[in-house]
Amino acid sequence: MARFITTQILTKKINNMRKFITTIAIALVAVSLFGQAKKPTIMVVPSDQYCISRGYSMEFDNQGTIITLPDYKKALQTDPNLRLVISKLSGIMADRGFPLKDLEQELKNLATAGAEMSMLESKNTGAGIAESPIDALKRTAKSDIIMDLSFEVKRKGPKNYITFILNGLDAYTSKNVASAAGTGEPSVSAQPEILLEEAVLSYIDEFNGRLMSFFEDAFEKGREVKIRILMFQNMDFDLESEYNDDELSEHIENWMADHAVNGRYNTQDATENFMQFEQVRIPMLNEKGRAVDARGWIRDLQKYLKDDPFMIESKLYMRGLGEAWLILGEK
Amino acid sequence: MKTLQITLVLLLALAVSVNGQKRKELKAYYGSQYNVEIQTLGVGNDGTKLFKVWGYAKKAEGAAIEAKRNAISAAIFKGIPAGGGAAPTPALSTDSNAEVTHQAFFDEFFKDGGKYLQFVNLSNDGAAGGADRIKMKKGYKVAVAVSINFVALRKYLEESGVVRKLDAGF
Repeated sequence: MARFITTQILTKKINNMRKFITTIAIALVAVSLFGQAKKPTIMVVPSDQYCISRGYSMEFDNQGTIITLPDYKKALQTDPNLRLVISKLSGIMADRGFPLKDLEQELKNLATAGAEMSMLESKNTGAGIAESPIDALKRTAKSDIIMDLSFEVKRKGPKNYITFILNGLDAYTSKNVASAAGTGEPSVSAQPEILLEEAVLSYIDEFNGRLMSFFEDAFEKGREVKIRILMFQNMDFDLESEYNDDELSEHIENWMADHAVNGRYNTQDATENFMQFEQVRIPMLNEKGRAVDARGWIRDLQKYLKDDPFMIESKLYMRGLGEAWLILGEK
Repeated sequence: MKTLQITLVLLLALAVSVNGQKRKELKAYYGSQYNVEIQTLGVGNDGTKLFKVWGYAKKAEGAAIEAKRNAISAAIFKGIPAGGGAAPTPALSTDSNAEVTHQAFFDEFFKDGGKYLQFVNLSNDGAAGGADRIKMKKGYKVAVAVSINFVALRKYLEESGVVRKLDAGF
């Protein structure tokens, strides 16, 4: 009897161990399968409201209209509380596998890279680096996800308290993909710096929880991107031109429906000169297991339009990981 | 008269059975891992969560131990509600069936004296009294203020493949 019970316990243990090993193996396979998707970059940027309300701003006269823009450099150089919060957020996000792009460093790099580019020339002919106005315009601090931050130390009688707002914005779809906001517990004794640190610790898990849901959604339903189809001027065709009895715009929409994950896309606007697609779900990986971004995905449409019966040349223009433009007519 | 007596007896039996059913449901309710009662006490130090959690057992000591287990269970499966100036913390596991999917792992993790205790930093279970120690009909309901090492727990579960990493897939 005792031997029977011992055998039963052993069998149960072996079964449990088997289940455990199978579970771990499945998890590892799942992770390795998704091991190559393009990782979005994240950067903390103080909100316009935070900068402008504290005087970290600059004004431009745009043809008679005064435009106020945030001056990030001034904010980062003069606001110790902002530096403290960004530093705390950076540490936590790095720990979660997302080292943040540092806005201050990025601004410094851009300034020095610009100076170096203007000085560089070839050894033989003295030729400078080719740079179009668009190339120069593209040299700005940017990331795929912006952590839009604002906070304020407020007083209620003798007590200090913090209001804290952190929004995760997808730079391409402009969607708020994660957020955390609220008001901390008022305190008489705690210094504002301590309350700020407490606010970061308090809200970051909620923020990351939502960010996790956003990533899970992307892996399940595809990455959400924005696609624009544009036309160069003076072409002998437009998006209403017919090929095999269907308009070009219809052919493009059919291609989108066939290639978007589960056919998910939304034609936000369309004329004979442009088409704008939003909420286009593209796969994170292609059939070869390689990472896909908006540019790589729309390149297949470029090839499709280059073929018979369209024979259309086009220029592919990238606006980051999640937005691409296809300009029809020429390269 | 006899009919009235029979009716009364039947009604009494029905009342007892309904009451019995209620108590049975109540028991299941207490035993459920989803029914963890938590009150957040404030923002914990870096990497920790600070809250009060309740446990049920025949003896007060057992209830305090159960409370510690409930604290870790809540962090994994349920999340920690907002309170005391702290924002809510979502559950570590985003899989709603994690306890079934990874049953073998959690059976081992939550066994008596199991590894879950490694993530309970601090608890006041030695001093539970007053409103934190309630004598019930068949045991005790005891509240314990705990500080759990939330970051270490998350990392351990991520490394064990039980919880998805934030950068998994990238």
